[in-house]
Amino acid sequence: MATLELRRLEKSYGSTAVVRGVDLSVADNEFVVLVGPSGCGKSTILRMIAGLEEISSGEIRIDDLVVNERAPKDRDIAMVFQDYALYPHMTVADNMAFSLTYRGVARPEIARRLAEAAKVLDIDQLLHRYPRQLSGGQRQRVAMGRAIVRDPKLFLFDEPLSNLDAKLRVAMRTEIKRLRERVRTTTIYVTHDQVEAMTLADRIVILNGGLIEQIGTPEDVYERPATAFVASFIGAPPMNLLPCRVTANGGAAVVSVAGNQVPLPASSSLDLQRATSVGIRPEHFSWAAESALAQIESRAGVVELLGSDTLVAFTLGGHDVQARLPPRHVRKSGDIVRLTIAPENIHLFDAESRRIDI
Amino acid sequence: MNTRTRSFTPWYQRKRTRDIALVACFLLPSLAIFFLYRILPLLWNLVLSFEYWSPLKPAKFAGLDQYREIFLEDDVFWQSLTNSLAFVAAAPFAIALALGIALLVNSDLKGASVYRAIVFISYPLMSVAVGIIWKWLYDERGGIINYALRSAGLVTKPIPFLQSFDYALPSVIVAEVWQVIGFYMIILLTGLQSVPPHLYEAASVDGVPRWAQFWRITLPLLRSSLFLCAVIGILNSFTSFDLIYVMTGGGPGHATELLVTHIYKTGFGQTRFDYAAALTVVQFILLLALTWLANRAAGGNAGAHDTGRA
Repeated sequence: MATLELRRLEKSYGSTAVVRGVDLSVADNEFVVLVGPSGCGKSTILRMIAGLEEISSGEIRIDDLVVNERAPKDRDIAMVFQDYALYPHMTVADNMAFSLTYRGVARPEIARRLAEAAKVLDIDQLLHRYPRQLSGGQRQRVAMGRAIVRDPKLFLFDEPLSNLDAKLRVAMRTEIKRLRERVRTTTIYVTHDQVEAMTLADRIVILNGGLIEQIGTPEDVYERPATAFVASFIGAPPMNLLPCRVTANGGAAVVSVAGNQVPLPASSSLDLQRATSVGIRPEHFSWAAESALAQIESRAGVVELLGSDTLVAFTLGGHDVQARLPPRHVRKSGDIVRLTIAPENIHLFDAESRRIDI
Repeated sequence: MNTRTRSFTPWYQRKRTRDIALVACFLLPSLAIFFLYRILPLLWNLVLSFEYWSPLKPAKFAGLDQYREIFLEDDVFWQSLTNSLAFVAAAPFAIALALGIALLVNSDLKGASVYRAIVFISYPLMSVAVGIIWKWLYDERGGIINYALRSAGLVTKPIPFLQSFDYALPSVIVAEVWQVIGFYMIILLTGLQSVPPHLYEAASVDGVPRWAQFWRITLPLLRSSLFLCAVIGILNSFTSFDLIYVMTGGGPGHATELLVTHIYKTGFGQTRFDYAAALTVVQFILLLALTWLANRAAGGNAGAHDTGRA
């Protein structure tokens, strides 16, 4: 139970800046996910919070106390590593109890915490096994168990699910979500998987090149991406970004994309003319029943039938575009694609690829 | 279907036969050499140890006579056995020292790779060269050790390291340790580097003190490397013939006599090949037992790195 605050946090190796001034406040009990492509500095930030990596400049505060100079052990945090970092020569029980014996926790208390964590994680039957006798998912649970028994101020997760296969990853994601209901502790979770970020987070921090692109709830970052980067990073398949021009057409503004005209909401301002690119999520295209209604018309390229819906790729003014459509409208490559877009689902970005509010 | 086609293929045309023939072709040269130079001498040595034999006389069955002499009458045997065991006993200290060095060069110490090279460089040196170097170092009049001791005012007259009954054995052991320590260090370093660094990070985040990380994480995970060192140390100690031969020749008296030098002297010095054969059998059994014990202590696979990754 603690708050965490990062102020102008920076890290550089020699002349290479990895983290370039990060500000973040995490509230008590909040679950914050740091997400971004590899090399964006997310793991470095986590390791700096843990004290495993020195800070080049800036401040880290836990519960309003600056911990910059504190050793990892004095920060009262627990960390779950990507490769689990279980001690191979110790049983599951020993792995979980190991550090407690050096923290002056009494034996009966250790036993109590161990039993409790084992029950929460459903690993009671595994306590006497060795890590090599466990499956990936079980090891992951043990690694979390080792963090839980510590009862720390702060949980840090470093890509905990990326070593698991796809199916198990989904299962463990649900598991973590369920665990979160039972063990409420301030948590920082690092991942490169935007689905994990969306499903787990109270708030998401999207990083790119050592800088924060956006901080917001999953809904925020999906519905109102602050930059073109966030727009293309969050959501699968990613948002289509196309160069565009906005013109005022007798009071109402219109976006023109490769010769196609899409009207914007009536209330839109002249400021929109700064826009240089338009973003449309694949799932926000709608099928136009007849040709006259279509705002965009093209021929389908690759068509992927997913059952519940169909992913249709087509080109618009030389740019690849993907649309997620209800089944049966488009069946194969070469079929005609007729689409409309609701004005409220249009995102506009300026030359610096920053969002322009409509 | 399958069996029918098979029954039509003569055995010499079958794939299995050809595979076996191929494997045999590759194995045969080394097996032949191994048999000729290892197995055959070993067996003949065993036979010889139960005979009275000399190059000019026909062999006569001796039963356990040679062995009786070894255990009941041969003082030099007991002396050389004690010396050999003293060599073995030095191995744990050498390994501990090597572990210390390995930990140092494995840290982010500046120029660690240079130290690593310097420490290791002694190992590929020929034992004869090492023996000569140390003989000079220990020399009573011109040796640098005596020079240093006298310059520092620690001794008033030079110490005859290799000529003294008290100092000869420890002195030779020091040279032996010096030579082998680089090898121990490399083995232990490999072991250290195969410990995933995340284990230490997890431990330090969880507040496990440094000394406990060493005792509870490093040492257990180094177990197989440590025992590999022990096994090599034992074998080395028993067979460091060249070093002894160059430095002291087993003297003064029999102060630095090892079983190997004793065997050599009885065999080739006194031409008592039958008795030397019996001594060799005793040494062989001793080595076998020690190695077996060490390997058992290592959990049956000395040298195999267990990082626990399944």
